[in-house]
Amino acid sequence: MNIAGPDAAATYEAARRRARLREKLAPWLLVSPALAITLFFFAVPIVYMARMSFNEKIDQRFYVPGFTFDHYSSLLTDSAFSNAIWTTAKLSFGVSIATTLIGYAFALLVWMKPRRWRFMFIALALCPMLISEISIIFGWWVFFPRNGLLSYVLTTMGLLSDKVGLLYTEYAAFVGLVYLILPFSFFILLSLFDGIDKKLLEASSDLGASPIVTFYEVLLPLTKGGIAASFAQSFIWAIGTYATPSALGPDTLWTIGYLIQEQMLSRHNWPKAAAFSMVLAAGVGVVMMMIRSVSAKRTPING
Amino acid sequence: MSDKYALELVGIRRCYGSVVAVDDVSLAIERGEFVTLLGPSGSGKTSTLRLIGGFENLDSGSININGKRVDHLPAYSRDTTTIFQSGALFPHKTVAENVAYGLRMRGASKSETEKRIKEALQIVRLAGYEDRYPNQLSGGQKQRVALARSMAVRPAILLFDEPLSALDLSLRLQLRAEIKRLHQELGFSAIYVTHDQSEAMAMSSRVAVMKQGKIEQIDTPSNIYNLPANEFVYTFIGENCSIPLRVSGGQAFDLSGTTLNLSLSSSLPDGEWRICVRPSRLRLTCRDGAENRLVAKLQFVEFLGDVHRYHLKSGAVELFVDQPGEVRANPGDTIEVGWSNADMRAYR
Repeated sequence: MNIAGPDAAATYEAARRRARLREKLAPWLLVSPALAITLFFFAVPIVYMARMSFNEKIDQRFYVPGFTFDHYSSLLTDSAFSNAIWTTAKLSFGVSIATTLIGYAFALLVWMKPRRWRFMFIALALCPMLISEISIIFGWWVFFPRNGLLSYVLTTMGLLSDKVGLLYTEYAAFVGLVYLILPFSFFILLSLFDGIDKKLLEASSDLGASPIVTFYEVLLPLTKGGIAASFAQSFIWAIGTYATPSALGPDTLWTIGYLIQEQMLSRHNWPKAAAFSMVLAAGVGVVMMMIRSVSAKRTPING
Repeated sequence: MSDKYALELVGIRRCYGSVVAVDDVSLAIERGEFVTLLGPSGSGKTSTLRLIGGFENLDSGSININGKRVDHLPAYSRDTTTIFQSGALFPHKTVAENVAYGLRMRGASKSETEKRIKEALQIVRLAGYEDRYPNQLSGGQKQRVALARSMAVRPAILLFDEPLSALDLSLRLQLRAEIKRLHQELGFSAIYVTHDQSEAMAMSSRVAVMKQGKIEQIDTPSNIYNLPANEFVYTFIGENCSIPLRVSGGQAFDLSGTTLNLSLSSSLPDGEWRICVRPSRLRLTCRDGAENRLVAKLQFVEFLGDVHRYHLKSGAVELFVDQPGEVRANPGDTIEVGWSNADMRAYR
């Protein structure tokens, strides 16, 4: 059958053009559900919140539509707010360092152990993620006070002569946050370790490097990116979580999360809460960019 | 304890739970020797290598390198280097940094290190690749860098842990020849672990065939091939045809009881036997007086390039014969296969 001819050639060309178009559109089609979700549930609320932060607060109503910079300018003079920034930053920074360090050690251990231990360790790490934050807080309330479990154990073991109450201290808030965030750090770091060929450790040892030298020469450089990622996500979590620090910490522990909650729920000042939130989001953004720029020296292994 | 040997294993043993991975292996390797540990998976060859490298601990026995006992030392204090199957190049270091690693750990001076890097990369024909990262190299190039990295420190003995098995065939053959050339030029001592018998045959001064943690035979490649110590070595090395049969009252039967049209120059005692002959040593005879003969029916013929492979069947016995030249028979024909006494082995 002879199908050659000007018509056939034109049809052929059209079909090929359609195929090329499909090829170009395919990635967008594939990513569109995720993109739609991100836009709808993330970008839209942020834009809405940004708009809210410029509304006015005149009377008992939550807000009055308008346009004012008052909420932002009041932040500059509000010492409670600047104190809260400092408190939050300090707490989050410490918590991020702690979760990353503990998570790193734990992930390293799981990675090095034979595979049959793995499931048990991972189940153990998942446990805190299965319990709601509120239940965990109740747990700490039993654990930390003067007549609580911790105090009881320490005194009966003879490590302390007197009962000790740690509830409503910064220490309790710190421990509570670390406990909450640790699993996430652990899984981020474990996934990173899993990408490393264990033979590299043997190769390093084989060439004459002691375990400590191997750690600094091989393991640390290969996990730098994961350390930054773990630190970054811990920081975001620590800054954003308000229930744990306010339930376990002292009354004076005013984090930004706590202030936002207060403006929103107690004072019914939505525009001000929105302004706080915008500043918080911007601050987190700046920290993220700083972490990225520190860890962004991309070697060809991860680039 | 003589220091004529680069490496001496004396009755080394290693168990994992109830499994004996390495069972009382003794082996002495002279300076400049290239010894291959050959065996199927699970034969203990890799475990033996890991014991030598210091990645596993001995249960008993001793390991001497250049006459000094080393089995109590950790891997990083032993004068051995390993070329791993995966290459195990440090992905965050350049080729030059990879090669320099062992030298740095041994505290070599900067000028010495630079000299050795250049030398090692020249040897493996990768001069000019110093600043590349491992992921910019092909599989074969990676293994060359691994080789350069291991050789740069000039260890007492090089340990090869199936370094070519992850590569495709043509590359494998090429690198195999290159390692052989390097060994000839530089004369290093080496242990090479592989399950590929042609690799073992081609490269080694001596081959140790291993099975279930034990060395079955250790000898030159040609002796392993031509004078195998037992049936396992015979069947593991090279292709072979095995004719299982039962001899009873001077008459040969296959295992299902059918009489075989088999004539042997010297008859076998009664019992069950396996007669083994290499397919390349079997001949399709025209009744020209081979010492041993079997009459069989031709099933089909495969074309293999240099030879045709004739698949034959006689009773329950199946065998194949490699023969050069034109095809001389049709499927269904009855033909006679002959072989000489020297090429035949009978095991019971």
